[in-house]
Amino acid sequence: MGKRILKALGGVTVVLLGLAVIVWLVWIPSAREVGYEFVSTWGEPGNAPGQFHDPTGIAVTATEVFVSDARNARIQVFDFDGHFKRQFGTKGDGPGRLGRPMNLRIDGDELYVADYWNDRIQVFGLDGAPHRSIGKSGKDPGEFNAPGGVAVAGNGDLYVADFYGQRIQQLHADGSFVRQWGHTGKVGIRAGEFNYPTDVALADDGTLYVADGYNDRVQVFSPEGRFVRKWGGPFGMNIFGPFNGWFATVTRITLDSSGNVFVADFYNNRVQKFSPDGTFLSTFGSKGTGPGQFEKVIAVAVARDGTVFVADFANNRIQKWQPKP
Amino acid sequence: MKKVMAAVMLSMIWSAVTVAAGTEYRMRVDGLACPYCAYGIEKKLKEIEGVGKIDVDLNAGLVIVDVAEGTSLTEPQMKTLFQDAGFTYRSMTEKSLDESAKHE
Repeated sequence: MGKRILKALGGVTVVLLGLAVIVWLVWIPSAREVGYEFVSTWGEPGNAPGQFHDPTGIAVTATEVFVSDARNARIQVFDFDGHFKRQFGTKGDGPGRLGRPMNLRIDGDELYVADYWNDRIQVFGLDGAPHRSIGKSGKDPGEFNAPGGVAVAGNGDLYVADFYGQRIQQLHADGSFVRQWGHTGKVGIRAGEFNYPTDVALADDGTLYVADGYNDRVQVFSPEGRFVRKWGGPFGMNIFGPFNGWFATVTRITLDSSGNVFVADFYNNRVQKFSPDGTFLSTFGSKGTGPGQFEKVIAVAVARDGTVFVADFANNRIQKWQPKP
Repeated sequence: MKKVMAAVMLSMIWSAVTVAAGTEYRMRVDGLACPYCAYGIEKKLKEIEGVGKIDVDLNAGLVIVDVAEGTSLTEPQMKTLFQDAGFTYRSMTEKSLDESAKHE
């Protein structure tokens, strides 16, 4: 009897080990790049210039870094070495005022801000002058329920991650509705459905990348709007984890000048980089408060020269990284 | 006489402060995952008249809300609010803000 049990247990162990090897081989890819090295950091908790109270978004031009300083209801601007240059925005819901600014996107000489509490996308000049605002509260087409991120197409169309709306909306520059992905207000884990989407990015050819927040995955759609692929853990179906190519809450997605995909992997305290087709390339970051460590990575931006800037949420600071030589 | 008047005035002011102290609610919530959740809950709570300070502790799954005197939060109301925000309400405790102040 005892031998039989031992034999059965041995069989189960072999099967489990076999499954673990399969999972490892199939769903845990190895790095294909040498990766990134830490350069510098700036910021600390507070509300003075250069200090942060919940940095939640980041975007870069050729020379400047823009940061959403959410609880301070402002955007701060720095040079690439972290020197404070200017700030704009105050708490409120009028033009130029902000209620929890989240992910940022720069298009041409304008800054697009996902104005989460005010259910709108606000557009500023890079000098901070308020230009216009798109959207209002609601569930109808063209309305938002807590927008988390925005991307801008070559023709001026906006793609907006509507967090509580559980959808991605495409709008013309004047705010008129074009189409949407996902079922309004309904969470889903199948292809083309969302579970609190936080951000979107657009490739030059119009391919749409979605940070499908609590589904712990990235979804990709063709310029025509068809579902192309998804990745993040086994089958890209809301299975989170700490391995290469897996996520634990996705809060930002952005592309570099080659179309590679950078993802803020919030609870894994890291940034992950993929090729445009979703092949895992490299990752950097670990949990902590020291140089090069993170307490929740919430946003990432990539400069033309490949320098990467990261919003280190709970450490209330920005980190600068560069590709290893 | 002046001393008596001053004492009465002080007493009235103290009473007004005490009555206006309001209430602190501490709610346990499942499913809080990131600042998007915290801000979403804050946004919904802010829409209730009389709600003041809101603190959301993501790690503890705790939402602490101060409300003005005359405002009260009910369990059915909070269950619906948190459900709409995508989370599961678990429990709620309340105490007078005046009582909280005494303990600080």
